[in-house]
Amino acid sequence: MFTEYRLTEGVRLFVRRTTQFKTVTFSIRFRQTLTAAGASARAVLANILEDSNETHPSRAALRSALENMYGTLYYTDVGKRGDLHYVSFNAECVNDQLLEEDGVVDWTLKLLADSVLRPNMKDGKFKDPIFEREKQTVLERLSSLYDDKTRFAQQRLYELIRPDGPESIRATGDEEHVGSLSAKDVLDAYHRMITEDEVEIYVVGDVDPDSFAEKIKSAFSFDGRTPADMPQDPSERGGKTGRVSERQAMKQGKLLIGFRTPVLFGTEDFPKMQLANGIFGGFPHSKLFMNVREKESLAYYAASSYLSRYGLITVSSGVDPEQAEKASALIDEQLEAMKAGEISDLELDQTKAMLANQLREALDSARGQIEIFDQYKDLPGGFTPEGWIAKWEPVTKEDIRQMAGTIEKELVYLLSGKEESEDADA
Amino acid sequence: MQTLDFNRLQETLYHEELPNGLQVFILPKKGFSKTYVSFTTKYGSIDNTFVPLGKKEKVRVPDGIAHFLEHKMFEKEDGDVFQKFGMNGASANAFTSFTRTAYLFSATENLYPNTELLLDFVQAPYFTEQTVEKEKGIIGQEITMYDDQPDWRAYFGAIENLYESHPVKIDIAGTVESIADITADHLYECYHTFYHPSNMLVFAVGAVDPEEMMEFIRTNQAAKTFDRPERIVREFPQEPANAAVAERSIEMDVSKPKVQFAVKLPYPDLSGIDALKHELSNEILLDLLFGRTSDFYTEAYEEGLIDESFGTEFTSETGFAFAVIGTDSKDPDKFAEKVRATLRSASEKFPFGQDALDRQLRRRTGLFLRALNSIEYIANQFTRYAFNGMNLFDTVPALEDLQVKDLQDALVPLADEQAWSVFEVLPASKGE
Repeated sequence: MFTEYRLTEGVRLFVRRTTQFKTVTFSIRFRQTLTAAGASARAVLANILEDSNETHPSRAALRSALENMYGTLYYTDVGKRGDLHYVSFNAECVNDQLLEEDGVVDWTLKLLADSVLRPNMKDGKFKDPIFEREKQTVLERLSSLYDDKTRFAQQRLYELIRPDGPESIRATGDEEHVGSLSAKDVLDAYHRMITEDEVEIYVVGDVDPDSFAEKIKSAFSFDGRTPADMPQDPSERGGKTGRVSERQAMKQGKLLIGFRTPVLFGTEDFPKMQLANGIFGGFPHSKLFMNVREKESLAYYAASSYLSRYGLITVSSGVDPEQAEKASALIDEQLEAMKAGEISDLELDQTKAMLANQLREALDSARGQIEIFDQYKDLPGGFTPEGWIAKWEPVTKEDIRQMAGTIEKELVYLLSGKEESEDADA
Repeated sequence: MQTLDFNRLQETLYHEELPNGLQVFILPKKGFSKTYVSFTTKYGSIDNTFVPLGKKEKVRVPDGIAHFLEHKMFEKEDGDVFQKFGMNGASANAFTSFTRTAYLFSATENLYPNTELLLDFVQAPYFTEQTVEKEKGIIGQEITMYDDQPDWRAYFGAIENLYESHPVKIDIAGTVESIADITADHLYECYHTFYHPSNMLVFAVGAVDPEEMMEFIRTNQAAKTFDRPERIVREFPQEPANAAVAERSIEMDVSKPKVQFAVKLPYPDLSGIDALKHELSNEILLDLLFGRTSDFYTEAYEEGLIDESFGTEFTSETGFAFAVIGTDSKDPDKFAEKVRATLRSASEKFPFGQDALDRQLRRRTGLFLRALNSIEYIANQFTRYAFNGMNLFDTVPALEDLQVKDLQDALVPLADEQAWSVFEVLPASKGE
């Protein structure tokens, strides 16, 4: 899909030439090992580097330059995958060919280089008012999680079942670490990112790969660095099992169930587990949707997700708190049915077709192409969409039964406005 | 079949009105592997008072019925439509807005079986008292889910403030109480009135051959019989220009207050490029007054009155229009005061000239071109515009036609203090 260029040790460029889009899309990703302190500093750093740079030394100056360049999109982001933390610099501009003037693509490339390499500094330090304000912004983003009960409940589940693992570290860090950050901590995080992080640069659009690689090379002259370790085994559990209920003033109950599986991303069984999760609760034809919603009318949504880097499967549903136990039992029944091999040809075929469709569809956006390729590219044999779809084809009902057999329930978590009795261990 | 070339955009649109009145539009996109097909009726949550097809007297139906009907279209005598799309590897969905109900799928295989499924399931209603009752539990949980979302409550609270009695103030899904009254007969009555092909539009975009697809839809429609189309009589109450409620707040379990500053705007009786210009003028004016390059934004952000949740929105549909400016804020009253001051000062002396407008026109041109990467955006936006007498692909010419005067005109109703309203969601006072 992408042409790869190794710019230096630990710095790779991937270019995909296509006329599918009217734009050129860029993403520059810096990655290092995920820690709560590191994520906190890097979240504030990402905000500071989105605010302004040396060439456009205020938010308003940078934003009006972007407006003038036909509304070029520029933003930074933080994310995590397995036990790695990412800071990304992202831009998307209209391709010059569609405009009455040239230079928008080159301008965007320079903007990214300015943002990464020439921040808005005074005497080699980030400016204090910007640091203080962005620290505050990140703190507020962290505390706003409380207001989104679905996301809050999901995060609580991770914290309860994997209190010490990367699963429960948020990509934006936590309030305690962000609150105690100094400007120097963030500056140190910046220098470390620039010199030590592994770097991946993506470009998608109607550009000539070779000449664009030269442009990138001269815009970003990174020194070599040693890549971070790849993800290891899933973390020690040491979390809660059984049932936990918590209260907030709310009408609906958020029911979350955490399961573990030893099947991890990139292993031989991984494609089988993707299918097993799809049959369990990945789609509107899946067992959870058909039974919890359509048959019993207990919920508007009931779905499962497979967090393959962590060996976790989580089920999420919104139910009347009075019905939470009934829903929880019904969810268990669906998994038990799979363990007993109660899987129809129809379910298997639908899920194969839906997974294939989902993958092909995701590749119809530039960002989707980058995200998916980035996840799969380092697996042995590389990645093509049709190559991956071929891995689902031969999977049998017996394979699914075996996959289901590896799934073990850890914790049932209910967030609701309901008074709860004592927690009971299962 | 009519062919419309938009050379500067490098797009070609195909259109035909079928004998039964159905509007069909097809936009092939090179390089895409998926096709997105939507089938939309001009019928939404606000259409709750109307004269049913073939009758003389108007009826008032329970709140939330358009959305309820949308849910029930997926259940047939022989099972669930999602199952069938699943067999074809298509992902299907639907949504209901104030003025539209859309059914759609996207697929990378089996385009024609999926298209047939879409056209046929939307044109074959099947409602029984039993299936209607069953859905009340599911939709009840959907309503409760939204009730727990403070952002949704803040947005709807602001709209509720603006209107005396216009049904736009009613939550799209209705309430647990209002849907309790819905019967299969209600659903059939609404269905027959609003799902006539002459009130509907199909949009197919992505990996699609226009001739083949048009022929496929023609044949599918020619095999079905429909009543003769009638003009649909919908009734809406007269609304005063003023906001119904100036200020209101509720308490929820949130960490930080949420505030929406809303302005009730007159609905312009325009169509075509004039309607498009009116919409763009309003959006650009909001960007200039409150967007990320505005003095308002810079100051409010420095003062900690707004955060990353800040945003503005302009909504204009047949019969109503409003603007909302909202954020999470530690001091919602001070935020609202700053919005008021900004509007007052702009109406005393209009602060934007040709330079500011030019920059926004470049930005909007770029945003529009970028949006054309998304086939979902094209289908949804095109349909919305078409139902309001506009053409999405006129966006660039409409932008080129805009003058500073258009922005000044847009400011007048926005700065009318009688039309202002503030709605706040405040952290609940804790007491155990």
